This record gives sequence, C-alpha cells and structure tokens, in this order.
Amino acid sequence: MILSCDFLAAQAYSDRFTESLVIRPLEDGKVASLFTFTTLMAHASGRDPINDSEDKPQHYTIFPLSLGQILREYAITELHLTLNAGKWDYLHWGTPEDADVGSGAEMWAWMADGGADSIDSRWVGVRNAVSGLLCASLSSLSIQRTTSPLLAFPPLGDLPVIRPTNQTDASKQYHLRHASLPSEHVCTENLTPFLKLLPCKSSSGLASLLNPHKLFDADWHGMGVHVRWLERKGVEVKLTFQAVVDPVRYSPTHSRDASLGSMFDRAIEKPCPVAAESMIQVKSPTDAVFHLSPDAHMENGIAVYDLAEAEYPLDISLRWPAELSFNYLFSSVHTSAPIRVTRVLRDASQTHGRLTVSIINESNHTQYVAYLETVPWFIQFYLHTLRITVDGEPRPDLLHRLSYTPAIPHADPTVFEPIFTLPPLKALRFTMEVEKAFLRYTEHPPDAQRGWDLPPAVVLPIQNPDLPFPISPYKSQRIYTSTLLVDLPTPDFSMPYNVILMTSTLVALFFANIFNTLTRRFVWIQTAVA
Amino acid sequence: MGAFQGVVRQLMLRLPSCLLALLLAFLAVGQQTNPVDEFFARTSSTHTNNWAVLVCASRYWFNYRHMANALGMYRTVKRLGIPDSNIILMLADDVACNTRNKFPGSVYANQGRRLDLYGDNIEVDYRGYEVTVENFIRLLTGRVEDSVPRSKRLLTDERSNVFVYMTGHGGNEFLKFQDNEEISAFDIADAFEQMWQKKRYNELFFMIDTCQANTMYSKFYSPNILATGSSMLDENSYSHENDADIGVAVIDKFTHHVLSYLEGINKTSKANFKDFFETYNFETIRSHAGVRSDLFDRKLEDTLLTDFFGGVAQVEVMDIPPNPSVQEPLVKSDQKLAQGVDDAFSSSIPRQSLSPVNPPGMSGWRLWLGCALMVGLVLVVGVFRG
Repeated sequence: MILSCDFLAAQAYSDRFTESLVIRPLEDGKVASLFTFTTLMAHASGRDPINDSEDKPQHYTIFPLSLGQILREYAITELHLTLNAGKWDYLHWGTPEDADVGSGAEMWAWMADGGADSIDSRWVGVRNAVSGLLCASLSSLSIQRTTSPLLAFPPLGDLPVIRPTNQTDASKQYHLRHASLPSEHVCTENLTPFLKLLPCKSSSGLASLLNPHKLFDADWHGMGVHVRWLERKGVEVKLTFQAVVDPVRYSPTHSRDASLGSMFDRAIEKPCPVAAESMIQVKSPTDAVFHLSPDAHMENGIAVYDLAEAEYPLDISLRWPAELSFNYLFSSVHTSAPIRVTRVLRDASQTHGRLTVSIINESNHTQYVAYLETVPWFIQFYLHTLRITVDGEPRPDLLHRLSYTPAIPHADPTVFEPIFTLPPLKALRFTMEVEKAFLRYTEHPPDAQRGWDLPPAVVLPIQNPDLPFPISPYKSQRIYTSTLLVDLPTPDFSMPYNVILMTSTLVALFFANIFNTLTRRFVWIQTAVA
Repeated sequence: MGAFQGVVRQLMLRLPSCLLALLLAFLAVGQQTNPVDEFFARTSSTHTNNWAVLVCASRYWFNYRHMANALGMYRTVKRLGIPDSNIILMLADDVACNTRNKFPGSVYANQGRRLDLYGDNIEVDYRGYEVTVENFIRLLTGRVEDSVPRSKRLLTDERSNVFVYMTGHGGNEFLKFQDNEEISAFDIADAFEQMWQKKRYNELFFMIDTCQANTMYSKFYSPNILATGSSMLDENSYSHENDADIGVAVIDKFTHHVLSYLEGINKTSKANFKDFFETYNFETIRSHAGVRSDLFDRKLEDTLLTDFFGGVAQVEVMDIPPNPSVQEPLVKSDQKLAQGVDDAFSSSIPRQSLSPVNPPGMSGWRLWLGCALMVGLVLVVGVFRG
C-alpha cells in the first residue's frame, strides 16, 4: 500500500483549525494556562522517503505551509519540538496540562526508513530547518546530543505502513531520533515565528493573548510544536504555549485575583473566524470561595466559554472575594503527582562525581517506571557502581530491566534506560559513580566557566513492564527532572599564550647570549694616552 | 592548413550578415546617443535589492549595550524598508529574556526606556553559541551546508547592496567574538573579496562600532566598498549612557549618534552619505570616527543613505508610452487613469513627437557613411571570394 500525500481540492476544505485555552489556578497562588492550537490537514499523510518524489504538488489552506514543506522535504511522520524556560514544579503545581516540560529545547522525530544513511541525514536536515523556522539554535543539537531511546518517546499518533513487506508490523520501518539542548533560551524571536504558523496570527482569537512582554516574565513558560499522523484523519499539527504566571507578584495587595488583562495585559477583542472551535476552560479550585466573571457554562466543575458566543471584549477574571491577601501554606496533602523524582550530581572533585536519583512512589500500590538518562559523552557512567537502595537497604531486585548504550568519546552520548519496580510509599534511590572527561581546548563553549547543562532525565510510569517492544507501547505522561549544571575541568585558556611568551623569552635570552659570545670578538683596545 | 582555410571560408560566408548587424547597431547607436550617455552618467545606485547583516559579537549581560546597538540598527533598517527575510541578525547572547533583565522581552537603548527595540515582532537568525567567526564568514561567502535554512543564508546577488554592521569588543585589526575568538581585519577583507568574486554584492557598506574600529576596514581591497568606523587606532569607543534600572550601559556613543541621525530620515529621504559623514564630530562621539571611500566609485554626495539602510529599489516613473496599442488595456483596467492619459495627450504633448518612426536624431552623414561602408565591404568580399 502506498499512501500518497496529495489530496483532492474538495477535501482541503475539510482542514480544521481549533483552539483552546485551559486556565488552572494552582495551589501556590499562581495560575497555569495552556494554549493549544490544532490544525488538521485532512486525509494527508507523510511522504514515503523512497517511493514518493519530493516535488508532488501540494495544496495548503490553513495548515502552515512553511512547516508542511519541511515535513515533506525530510519525510517526517511525527515531529515534536518543545522550547521551555524554567523548572516545572511538580510538587506545588501538580501534573502539567501538556506533559513535555523539560527545560530548554527538546526535539524528537519519527521517520520512515529510507535506506542507508537516510535517517541521520534527514534528522540533520529537519533539525536545521526547524531551527531556521523557529529562530532556535538547534543546529548545536549535534550528534553529541542525538539518541534513540527505546521507551520514553513512543509515537503519539499512528505510523502508516509505508510499503508492502512481509513484516506486518509497521513499527519496524520507523526510527526515532531524539535530542535535547537544556541551555537553549526562549524569547520573543521564537514566539514571532510561532505566531506566524497560526491562521489568525496574533490578531484575533486566543492567540491575541500571547503577549511576549507578559509571557516571558512568567515563572515558567514553554512552547511546543507537535506533528503527528492519525489514521483516517490526516496530519495534525498542535501548537502549544504553556505559562505559569504569578498574580501575587503583580498584585500590590498580594492577592491572587487574576484576569486575562492582568495575566496577559490584553483582552480578547474578536474571535478567530477560521477556528472551527474556540474554547476557554477554567478549572475551578476547590479550596476557597471562588468567583468567576463573566458567567460561564459549567461542565463537570469546569467553566467553559465558547468564543463563538461570547461578548467582546472578553476578559475573564478569577476572584477570591473572601481573601484579602494570599498566604500560601504548603501542605503535601494536596500533592497530586503519584511519582516524584529528584536528581542530583554530587561533585566531589572536578574529575569525579556521583549521580544520585530518588524516585518516590506516593501511591499505596507498586508501580513500574522507565527511567531515561541521556548525557553527553563527557559524563561517563561507571555502570558497575550502580547501587539501588530503599530505606538504606540494597535492593538490586528492583531493577527490572536495563538497556545501556555507553558513550563514544567526542561523539555519541550515553543512554541509560532501566525499568524499576517501585514499592508502595517508598523512595527508591540509586547512585552511580561518574567520571568527567577532560575536553579538548576547542570543545569548550565560550563561557566555559559557567559549566555544562545536562539534559533532564525522564521518568515514564508504565503499567506492564514486560510488553515486547521494537516501538514503545507505553503512552503515559512523562515526568521530567530538573537539569543539572556540571563543572568540568576547565583549563586556564590564557595558559598557551603565557607558555608561548615565557618560552620565547627564555629562548631569546639564551640564544642572544650564545650568539653574542660566538660572533663577537673580544680584543684589547689601545686607548691613546693623552 | 586545410582546417584554417575552412575557418576562413566560414568567416567569409558569414561576413556580410555580420557587417549588416554591425551597421544596424551603428545606426541604432546614432539615434539613441542621449539615453546611453544618460545611463552611463547615472549617479544613483544600480541595485535591485538590499540586505543587512547585523552582528553583535559580545556575550554576557554587561555587554547589554552591544546587543542594543545591533537591535537599534535592526529596528532602523526594518523601519526603512528592509524586510526580515533580508536581515541577518546575529546576537551572541540573549539579554531580552535574561534573568537579570528587569523588563522581560524588552531591550532599551536609552535612559528612561522610551523605545523598546525588541518589540513583539523580531527574528534573530543566529544567536548564542551560533555566533562564531566561522559562521559569520560562511554566511558572507555563502559556503554553508545544504540543509542550512534560508533564514540563515545571505542570498545576495550582483545587484544587492549589502549593509554590514558589527559591534563588540575589539582592538588593532581584530574584533572579539563571544570573548573567546577573534576575527581579524584580513579575514573580513578576504571574505569581502570572495563575495566580490562570487558576485555576491553590488555595493557594500561596512560600519563597525568597537575600540580602534577604523583599523578593521584598513585592509579592504575589493571594489565598491564604503566603510566607516567609530574610532581610530589607539583610541577607545565609549558607551553613551546608563539606565539605572537596567543597571548597565545601554548604547555606545557612535551608534547612538548614527541612530539619532537615521531617526530623522524616512524611506523616501534624499539624505546622502556626505552630509551624514560630516555630522561626525569628536565632541559628541568622543572618538575620531573614520570613513574610507577610496574603494567606492560613486560620489558620496550622490550616494543616498537609503541605498544601504533602506529596502526600496529605484522606481522610475515613466511617461505614458505613446503606442496606442498600449493605451488600450489602460482604458479597460482603470477608467480614471485612462481619462488622465487622454487629457494629457489632447492638451500638452503634440502627437508628432510621440511617433516612433523617423528618428529625429539621425543625421545625413551617418546614413551616407553607413551605406558607403556597406557597399564597399560587399564589393571587397565579392572580389576576395571570386
């Protein structure tokens, strides 16, 4: 079966754009909001890298052309890119609406097999193209950052069977490439091209709230581009923007009252006419008297505003009338996350360290998790020093399965992917000794003294650890740890110049003396007696 | 020998037609002397597109002013009409979303923060660690990998006017990138020469704001380059002012002077480089800003600032063509315009002069000379072949 990407003009009209905004007041007085813009290109599918030519005519209506061309050129079936800034606080903020909250840039793609070297060259191509599209510096996501994790990044959509084979399993024809760049900045230059991918840009609808001056002041913010293929539907691109703003910080009275105006400095003036569906949902908190205006249609405790029927300008405000000022009393009772992770790298010296990870099972039943650690080659794990303990007791039996790819110096990163069994209400703790490599002079970044950021580790809760996989069957929400900053042995960069200066001085002194003695003749000079 | 004869015979056979063509060309020149002279005496630029490469080569928060310098230029060239697709902006660090920035998403270049240079519509093409000497030279010379996107390429041609602005910390014949590596005056000169050889520019304007900046253009040797720098050898370039809330200097004196001047011009301005360079003075810039124009063959008073800072190509408004067949579609497309055309024809311009036949500039002696030449040559050829 050969799926072709072109589709009839009549079907183009069935392209569908929907947008939604989910607002959730958090327990610590902050407000999380998630913007989702979804465009479905109906009945389209990714290009087969072998059988389809690249120059088949394309027809785009509301699907972003610039992104569509990249997907087609490099025959990408599924593409995910997130650019986040800050650390998602699972403890106080709970589970994020959109799971991919790893700090910095993270990108992964599922690509259909297209012959030798095809996958890696297409990966380089798509990385460069997307970095140009979104003004991100992803070209530094070199081979040193690229991995193919087995479990943590399953395809979110379907993978089309691209050509007849005796393998009925489509999964064997697909390859995953994943890379993350934790030190990537996110700023207005990323939001500008992001907005240009939307049919209404930022001029109307929910996207008009995306004001860079407010968003980049948020305690946490992140944007995402997710492309996937859905069988019998088509190619779907989901653009997300997630932000956690702190109304208490803005308020002179320390009140946690918030509104679209106070959070984004804007109200919605008009709906986006292209949007087939445009909704705002407000998840009301349960802890205090809470007032929402204007009045909304309630569904299962969630206030829903339909932008097609709303009155404009629309400015939704959330108020806690009984509260004069907000004081956050943290109690872990409210913590909704069933699994929490902390990761630290203890630096005994500049050359060695110890990675310590605790995975805490907050629920009262046994859970399984897949853990993923991808670190660039300059951190080398000593796998034989892996120690798993629970309450100080060694528990090597809790390691259910382990997949490990050692690093290749100056090239591939380490991939450490165990599956652990977590006993109920216990903290599993594992440690491993690491060695920090001595980099070449030119491998250091310009600000070498700052150190290197290590990508966040990923924890994926799984139901059944024994499922067979060429492609991960686990589709639960990933949990990201914070990034780590590593201090590598850093040379004194002016040292070569000092050495050159000193040796040449010494050589000059030595040479000059010898030269003098060899070439000069010392003779008595008769001075005339006056 | 035989081959040689064959070639000669071929030439002989073709000679009459060649001569005829030559003669016609000669006659044609006779009737169009004036436009040709006019064309070659043109003082305005012959470019058809504009590009800008704006480089801030400094990293770290305390170099805020260098980011602001480049962003100020970015705002100005964008305001004067160069689209984002023709601007390559290189910023070695991110100050707008830096955690030390009290005003997230904003970069200001003046005390009191009156004008936000970052705005909500900006595209930074190279940023952070990507701003390297290698990438800069690859960008100029076009020697990039196949997969490098269009936004990171300088897609200029021989009709492009290119504006290159650089700022950072420098010294005698070098400019530091990221406080880590240097580009030398020779590197830039060679890159520009390569651009010239590859027909990657028509004219190039180089501006640099750094200490001892004038040394950076001293090594140029390629044609059609106009260059200016903020300070001469052994001289520092200074920052202009601090903002107390930002906490660091926000712009350099030279760039501030340039931007203040450019604020006064718009897309249709006729301001020229001579007037602009004459505004340089030690009292405001606190260094001796220099100009190098020996490689540039147009006169500075004929060179408009908008030839480099603006994105508007020359538009010539022609008289309405005299041919009635051209007049036809005008009537169809725009009634009002056609009406105007009719008025113009009926009132002021005599129909006689609009006729394409009987070129008035054709003098008798040329015609005679041409005919005589033709006859003579045909005779000579005939005799020779016979």
